[in-house]
Amino acid sequence: MRSFLLLWKREVGSFFLSPIAYIMSFFFLVVMGVGFGFTVQHLTAGSMSYEVLQNIYASFFPWLSVLIAVPVLTMRSFAEERKFGTIETLMTAPVSDTAVVLSKYFGCLLFYVVMWIPTISYIFIINKFSTTKIALDPGALLGAYLGGLLIGGLFVAIGIFCSSFTSNQIVAAIMSFAVMMMLFMAGLVSHISNIEWVARLTGYFSSLAHMMDFSRGVVDSRPVVYYVTSTVAVLFATIRVVEARKWK
Amino acid sequence: MIKVEQLTKHYAGTVAVDNLSFNVSEGEIVGFLGPNGAGKTTTMRILAGYLPATGGEIEVAGRDVFRESLEVRKRIGYLPENCPLYLDMRVDEYLEYRAGIKGVSPRAVRSRVDGVKEKCGLQEVGTRIIGQLSKGFRQRVGLADALVHDPQLLILDEPTVGLDPAQIRQVRQLIRELARTHTILLSTHILPEVETTCDRVLIINEGRIIASGTPKELEQNLLTGSRITVDIKVPEERARENLETLLGVKSVSTYMVDEWTVAEIECDEHEDPREAIFTSVVEAGWKMRELRQHKKTLEDVFVELVVDRNGGDGVERSGIQPARSELGGAS
Repeated sequence: MRSFLLLWKREVGSFFLSPIAYIMSFFFLVVMGVGFGFTVQHLTAGSMSYEVLQNIYASFFPWLSVLIAVPVLTMRSFAEERKFGTIETLMTAPVSDTAVVLSKYFGCLLFYVVMWIPTISYIFIINKFSTTKIALDPGALLGAYLGGLLIGGLFVAIGIFCSSFTSNQIVAAIMSFAVMMMLFMAGLVSHISNIEWVARLTGYFSSLAHMMDFSRGVVDSRPVVYYVTSTVAVLFATIRVVEARKWK
Repeated sequence: MIKVEQLTKHYAGTVAVDNLSFNVSEGEIVGFLGPNGAGKTTTMRILAGYLPATGGEIEVAGRDVFRESLEVRKRIGYLPENCPLYLDMRVDEYLEYRAGIKGVSPRAVRSRVDGVKEKCGLQEVGTRIIGQLSKGFRQRVGLADALVHDPQLLILDEPTVGLDPAQIRQVRQLIRELARTHTILLSTHILPEVETTCDRVLIINEGRIIASGTPKELEQNLLTGSRITVDIKVPEERARENLETLLGVKSVSTYMVDEWTVAEIECDEHEDPREAIFTSVVEAGWKMRELRQHKKTLEDVFVELVVDRNGGDGVERSGIQPARSELGGAS
């Protein structure tokens, strides 16, 4: 446990030392801010009275930036260690492979959460400046952030999984972007597919559809179970990949 | 301390380590010597628990390296090739982190880190970022990292590679000091390094041990027959005629410098014909200005064992030849 905490601290520290993490969170907030700007515009035009949270959290703006930010944040985790050879000093220290993978995962997840924190201010801004107190259901708000955490949790795990294969950060980023994009876009397929079972099946994987529900305050147990179990499965696979050097 | 029995490692299609067996007892400094690609790094990685072996038994401090990996790793200080470090961390920060994950108790971390910093001469760079340090300092940080949990065994993969001569001397000095309290296995392809630092040498080539012993033993046992240089004022042919007939002389090659003939004499095993050479030159009434025997070095042993096996005495051998002549200062 102690070695996990130390490893985790080092991971978190490396995020706050690397310019790329700051650039990414800057980019994330800019895109989120643009999305928020549109929401405010809609509100002032009076064309929208509810669905404020859906507009902020389940539009394309946050997810476009999450889809770019997560691969960029996770790509270094193992790829960089491989490239600089520090994986050798790391894995010859008396720490378990599981501790290494989990420390990288939770280190990255923490940064992902930190990246989201400033967006909470949007709610206060709307509440402060709108004359009609529109419904800002706390349940829906919690749902939105829970959704962000669950989906982000899975995406971060996927990013780290992809990074564990290669010593090339770009390859890692592109692989994880492709996988996340597929999961995210599954919802699109469910809309356009004429075959019923395909539409239903892809519907289950659609992160965008899940986020729509979450930010309405509907926390269905199915997506929760889906995200938690897939995250665990992907992390387990990552541990296997890291161990794989011992099979050869 | 280390017990390796029939260690074998296959990579896809190639055999990196082939049936390697050796022992290292406590307190020894053992040098792993071999050309690049001989299997030194692979063997060390397996010992350090980074790679699994394809076959064979390896014990470190009485424990199986693979089955009790975590326990073994606690007892090993490993410095990988090229000394990988987190370049974004400060020296103190890095060493404290490494001490922590290697199981040094939180209370002892500070004093352990201070201790190894002093040993490795890092006191003044504690707050510097590793990425901004020179190669020599980074190497010392790597060594400090290997030492920080006070391991019984140090495995150092080419600890002096890429350093300047002054730094190499410092690192060697440090290794010798460490040897008083640790068992050390170090690899290198630099010959003087093992001569100056190691108690025992294992010469490895193509994954096999081809010779082992103290540097002195290797020189004595493996290189029989010595070389002598004579410098005489007489035409070449006459010098050769005269010298070739002497007892103990195997072959003579000559070249002229002004009026002087420089003869390089290869001697038979265990023969020292210097006296005979002197007598015969004096009897012939020639002038002599040099007569010297070349001491064989570990380099010669190495060339004999590795280069000759690999490539006969073609290109590689002639590549080494100038180094030999340099020793004599003749050519």
